[in-house]
Order: sequence, then structure tokens, then C-alpha cells
Amino acid sequence: MHKYPTWKYILVIIVLAYAVIYSLPNFYNTYPSIIVKNYDSKDITEENLLKLSDVYSFVYKGISENNIFFDSIDDQLSAYNILTKSESYNYTLSNYNHIPKWLDLVNAQPISLGLDLKGGVHFLLQIDNENVKKSRLNKLESNLRNFLIDNGIRYNNTFSEVDKVSFKLNENSMEAEIIEILKDNFSDYKISISKTKEGQIIVAKLSDDSIKDDVKAAMQKNLTILRSRVDELGVSQPTIQRQGSDRIIVQLPGLQDSTRAKNILGSTATLEFRLTKGTPDDWVASQTIGTNTVSESVLYKRKDGSPVLLSRNVIASGKDIEGANSGFDSQTNQPAVFVNLSSVGASNMLGTTSKNIGNNMAVVFVEEDKSQVINIATIREAFSKRFQITGLDLQEAKDLSILLRSGSLSAPMKIIEERTVGPSLGSENIISGRDSMLLGMILVILFMFVYYKKFGIIANIALLANILIITATLSLFQATLTLSGIAGIVLTVGMAVDANVLIYERIREEILNGNSPNASIIAGYKKAFSTISDANITTLIAAVALLTIGTGVVKGFAVTLVIGILSSMFTAIVGTRAIVSIIYENKTNKGLSI
Amino acid sequence: MFRLIKDINIKFMRMTKAPLLLSSILIILSLFSISIKGFNFGIDFSSGYIVQLNFNNQVTVLQIQEKLASNGLSDSTVQLYGSSNDVLIKLKDEDIFQKTNINDQLIKIFNDEKFKILKLEYVGAQVGSELREKGEWAMLIALFSILIYVAMRFEFIYGLGAITALIHDVIITLGIFSIFDLTFDLSVLAAILAVIGYSLNDSIVVFDRIRENNIALRKMSIVDVLDKSINQTLSRTLVTSLTTLLVIISLLIFGGDAVKNFSIAMLLGIIIGTYSSIFIASASLSYFGIKRPEGN
Repeated sequence: MHKYPTWKYILVIIVLAYAVIYSLPNFYNTYPSIIVKNYDSKDITEENLLKLSDVYSFVYKGISENNIFFDSIDDQLSAYNILTKSESYNYTLSNYNHIPKWLDLVNAQPISLGLDLKGGVHFLLQIDNENVKKSRLNKLESNLRNFLIDNGIRYNNTFSEVDKVSFKLNENSMEAEIIEILKDNFSDYKISISKTKEGQIIVAKLSDDSIKDDVKAAMQKNLTILRSRVDELGVSQPTIQRQGSDRIIVQLPGLQDSTRAKNILGSTATLEFRLTKGTPDDWVASQTIGTNTVSESVLYKRKDGSPVLLSRNVIASGKDIEGANSGFDSQTNQPAVFVNLSSVGASNMLGTTSKNIGNNMAVVFVEEDKSQVINIATIREAFSKRFQITGLDLQEAKDLSILLRSGSLSAPMKIIEERTVGPSLGSENIISGRDSMLLGMILVILFMFVYYKKFGIIANIALLANILIITATLSLFQATLTLSGIAGIVLTVGMAVDANVLIYERIREEILNGNSPNASIIAGYKKAFSTISDANITTLIAAVALLTIGTGVVKGFAVTLVIGILSSMFTAIVGTRAIVSIIYENKTNKGLSI
Repeated sequence: MFRLIKDINIKFMRMTKAPLLLSSILIILSLFSISIKGFNFGIDFSSGYIVQLNFNNQVTVLQIQEKLASNGLSDSTVQLYGSSNDVLIKLKDEDIFQKTNINDQLIKIFNDEKFKILKLEYVGAQVGSELREKGEWAMLIALFSILIYVAMRFEFIYGLGAITALIHDVIITLGIFSIFDLTFDLSVLAAILAVIGYSLNDSIVVFDRIRENNIALRKMSIVDVLDKSINQTLSRTLVTSLTTLLVIISLLIFGGDAVKNFSIAMLLGIIIGTYSSIFIASASLSYFGIKRPEGN
């Protein structure tokens, strides 16, 4: 039997060392934790945390730096609920583990678990393309109108359709010169002018490119806004990612309930400040008749459903708000939102309030089609930049201040896919994944030992090495492990032994044909090689096809399958061969234990 | 040496009629069911909501259904899930969820009961049809690239043989899902693609041996070469299928509901794939007219 090349032994040792080191972090316990920070993002001291745990007496496992960690997710969440309601620190749901420093130095980290294993919320949001188009169309219409007015051209009527605006002029009076300027000014659009008996018709059409540009710009702005909103939701390592031209993926690990995230992320809510009009009697009368009894007014509803008439003029709105914070009114101790207006908004507010002392001002909560008056208060004195809004509960005040701080989305975003897995279900999934892997492995290992004896043990060593290599690779590349990924690993366990089975069956054939043990080993490995590579490459093709679908479940499965196929080829062809060489090389073997 | 199969010489090529008949019947039944009845698509492909709730108190299916119906959500499926505190609800994508999201709706509907949302999945109609389209493409791309690879590495006829066996496996697995109303979701699609890879693996191993024997055993007739190759690889085929089945069965037992559909699809696929690599793949080579190498 030829000497097995030294470099192959070295390669096997290097791969094994890699597999052991990088899979090691996964063997340390990870605890659910809460990271506590001050509002200025500075770390809080351990003594403060100890005090906190004394005062609110929640169950916890330990404290390390700014982490309070827990035995179970239930403990973590109940402490989180207590803390967020009582002390105004910044809390983030996270995970804590005791990994030795040297592993950190080689960048060895535990596998990052998918949301189905650690629990959390996954959203796919889609921008409202129609809305982007519509606002572009509105802008075009008003610009064109201004142009016509500025140039003294009179028009009868305007109408806008899907992607174009038309102006019907009173007469065929537009001169060629002005047409040129018009076309120049509106070069982004397709302008066509036709003559009719009654007068010229100007049609301005949106080009596909300009809509695309608008969507792109709106996406950019929405990404920024979503980022700042997600930051306020208190989860560690959230993902916000653009997908395609008009979609955004948001992932919030560790979150138990998607309700609040949904209400905040997709919200287009903003505020408007308006004066009230008429008397309460007018309001009720307007509602019963169905038309406004006071001129220049709009009918609104309050939170309890009762009617109120407000002025058509908006004093200030969401875009005038520079900053917002939630807290409590110092006198009544009611939850409140403290608002800072921009200079334009502030001077508007000052102008209006100084003229309307004694009158009522309403705060309107505006969201897409529905608007609601959340508060009506009498103006007692003139004010401008800073003031507070009451009439909300604590959660509403908190959420509203988040929305006001982040600014409003430049186009509405709709959730088109959601996958929420509660953390408790997540840990159940981990357990079932682990159990099925263990059982599968034990069965396969037993079978291989009974069927192939000593060679079976060698194949089993290769199988274990395989699991380590897959774990290490997933950890190193921080590929996300999902339940379907575990299924992929389990399947690999079944198929990983296949390469060895192919080799061993060949060796047996050679022995049955009367060849010497050593010659049989060499022939077995050699003849099986092309079969193994052909068989695995074709499976690899199917796995890569799976990757192209690229969605959660399928992708997780495909990634582990690809890694599994590659590593099982290595362990079977190079790895087990090295062990076989160590045992049988340079000996006259009478028989093989196969 | 402990062997499942000892020196045997089964004349597979002389008993192609029965498998051919069986497979034809299964394929016709499958195609019939797929085209008439279709699939019981999970929400991945059909859009809608799946919510798993954990109530503090025990509940009954009837109770939940009544509450849903009285809130205008009569088009729903409700089932208990493991215990009488856990409920799985499937809902269509109704218009009202656009105005008030489902979480707030559920709180309103079950206002006097305390519950936790353990799982909530929503797939919009657009996403559902995209996923379906992507899945179909992935399947076609997989089959086509495998055909090309096998044709290149072997001969075109082997590619045809492999694809015949694959299409056979996929159609029958899909057919069983359709006939027995098993839920067809993304994980099942993943399983079917894995089965494509797996069953191919089996066929390639046999083909590899046919190619080898075709050159080495020049005096044998092609039918005998096919038979000998299947017999030689038979124990490997069975051993690998057995180890894979062992882990699939442990997935089925311990893997929980999230991988149940996946495991069922894999289980079916591997049994059918093993059968086809023994009885169908090589028979189709003979049917397509495989020849001895030139100069013989």
C-alpha cells in the first residue's frame, strides 16, 4: 500500500482544527438578556442594575456589565414588561453568552439563529407605487397650473388620469414661443399640444423613468425613517434591508408580539393643529344635517365619536415638528407628548395663538383616510415653539412621539408578508430540531457500526467531523440557521455516510473478487471516486437551484445542504482515507473488518 | 462481512412489465388528481393568515368559530393544536385587516379571554403567486441543468434516463400530496427539490456502473450489463436509502409540526426514488435504445 501523502494528513488536521475552534462557541450557554442603557446611550453601572432588580424584584440569573440575563424567555419578558412601564432607561431585548476571550479574538461566534428558532418578527413591506405616482401627478398639475397663470393663459378645466394631466384652454391662443418655454420647463414630461374647436389641449405625461426615480427616492427616505423607528422598538440586531426596487425587509429578533411593531412601522400618522369653528351646538347640527353649518370649516370626529367643526386652515402639521418626547404632564400627571416646532411652524403658531386667546385649538391625529381629534384645549396664552399635547394613554403617547421624531413616510408602505414566531415556540423548535438530529445520528451510527464494523466506526468519526464542519462553517459565515436548516443537516447526516457506503461496497466487491486487503482498499477508494463526485455534483446542482428561490424556508435548507455535500465529500474521500491509512498502511493485513 | 444482500443476480430487465404498469397507473392517477383536484396549498402559495394562539383558559373549537363568525370572519378553519389551550386558525386575507391589523382584531374578537400569539404568518396574494412562480422555475432549472450535466458527463441518453426517473418521482410525490390533501407549502417544495437531488444520486450511481461495465464486460449483452450493474449497486442503494430513511423518520417523530410536511414529502420521495432508480432508470435506458460502445 502506497504511503498516503503527508500534505493530506496536514489538510485533515487543519480542517479538523478549524471545525473544532469555530463550532466551540455553540457549546456555551446563551441566555436571554436585557441590555439597559441611559437615554444618552451611555452604559449604566452594575450597581444601578442591582438596585433596579432590588426595587422591582424580578427573577433573573445574573448581571454582567449592562446586561441582565435570565434563565428563560418568560423571565426575560416579564422583567421587560415591569421595567419598561416604570423606569425610563433604554431597554433592548438581547442574548448574553459567556464565551472565552480567545475565541472572540479569532472571531469565533455562535451560529446566528433564524427567527423561527429564537423567536421574532419578520416583515416584508412594499411601497405604494400608485401613491408615489399620484403625488408626482399632483405636483405636476400644480406646477403646470402655476405656469399657465404666470403666463396669463386661461384654462377651462383640468383632469388627471392614470399617468397624465390635461389642461383644456379657453382658446387657441398659446404662441409658439410660450410652447417652447413650456416644453423646456417641463422637459421631464412628455408634453403634447393639440388644437380643437373650443381651444388647445395640453397633455403632460409622466415618463416611466421619472416614476422609477420617484420610487427610488421615496424608498431611500422610507429606509431612513424605518431605521429610526426600528431603533426605538428595543430589539438588538434588527435587520432593515432593501429587497428589489420597491420592497423592504424588516426583522425584529426576540419580539414576542408584532402588534406594536406593525402599528409603528407602517404608520403614516402625523399631527395637525387647527382652530375650532362654531359652537358645540353647530357641531351637533352639522352632523345631523350632514353638511357644515359654519363656513370655512370641516367636520371631524373626536375619539369618543362626537362631532366637532375645525377650520380649513392648518396652523402647523407633522412636517413642522422638529422633535418630540413622551412623558407626563407636570400638573395633572397625565401622559403627554412634548413637541418642538421648527421656526416656520413656531412663527405660525405664535401668530395664530396670540390672536386667538380664549378660543379653542384642536390636535388632529391624521392617518391616511382617517382623522381623529385627540384633544381640544383652550388657548390661555400665546405660545410658539414648545408645547405639550395630552389626551392619550402612555403607550399612545410613546408611539406618537416615535412617529413624530422619525418623520412621516414619504409614501405609505404596506406589509405584504409577515412571519412572527413567539420566543417560546422558537425554543421548542430548537429542542425538536436537536432531538431529531440526535436520534437520527444515533440510529445511523448504530447501523454503520453493525454493518461495517471497524470501517463503520471510521465512517462514524467522519460523520461527527461532518457535523462539526457544518456547524463551524455556519458560525464562521454567520449564515442564519433555521429549522429547515436543521432539517438540511439531519438529511446530510443520512446522506453523508453515502460516500463511505459507496467506497466500502467497492472494497467488499474487490475482496470478494479475491484481491488482497490492501489492494482492495486502494481500488475501492479509486473506483468510487468518480461515482461520488458525479453523484454529489448533481445533488449540488439541485441544491443551487433551491438557493435561487431565495426565500426563508427553502434557502435555509439549501445552504446547509450545500455545505453538507461539500464537507461530506471531503470527510469521505480525504478524511476516512487518512484514518484507513494510519490503521492499515505498511502492514500485511490478513483481512479487513468491513 | 454482514451483508443485506448476498451474491444475487436478479433479472431486472426481464421483469420490467410489472413496475412499468404500476408506475403508469400511479402517474395517471397523480396527473388526474393534480389537474382535477389540485393541491391543498398552504398560505405560502395561496395567501392568507395562519395564527397560533395560546389561551390562558381552555377553549373549544366551536367557541372560537362562533366568535370569529360573529365578527364577520366565518371563512376560517379552526383546530386545537396539541392542547385545549392552543388553537390554530387559518383566515383568508379579508379587507378589514387593511384597516385594523389582525393583532388588534383578535384582541377585539376575544376581548374577554387572555391569549398569547405564538405564531402569526401572513402571505399577501402577490407574494403568494410570486413564490409559486419562483418554485416552478427552480424545479425546471434544476431538472434542465441536471439533464445538461449528465448528458455532458455521460451521454445524452443517460441524461434522458435520469430525467425520466426524476419526473416519475416528482409526479408521483406531487400526486400523493394532491390525492391525500396534504398541505403543500414552501417546505414541501424544498423537500421535492431535495428528492430530485437524492433520487438522481441513486440513478447516477447505477449509471456510473453501467458505463464502467459497458466498457469492461464486452462479451455480455446490453441487457445483461444493465442487470449486472443494478445488482452490483443494489446493496449500496438499499443501505443509503435505509440510513436516510432512519433520519427522516426521526425528523418525523421529533421534528415537530414545523417540519412535518417536509418530512412526509422526503419520506415519500426517498421510497419512490429508490424504487425508480432500481426499476425505472435503467429500464428507460434500455427503452431509449442504449447501445454497446463503438467497435464491438
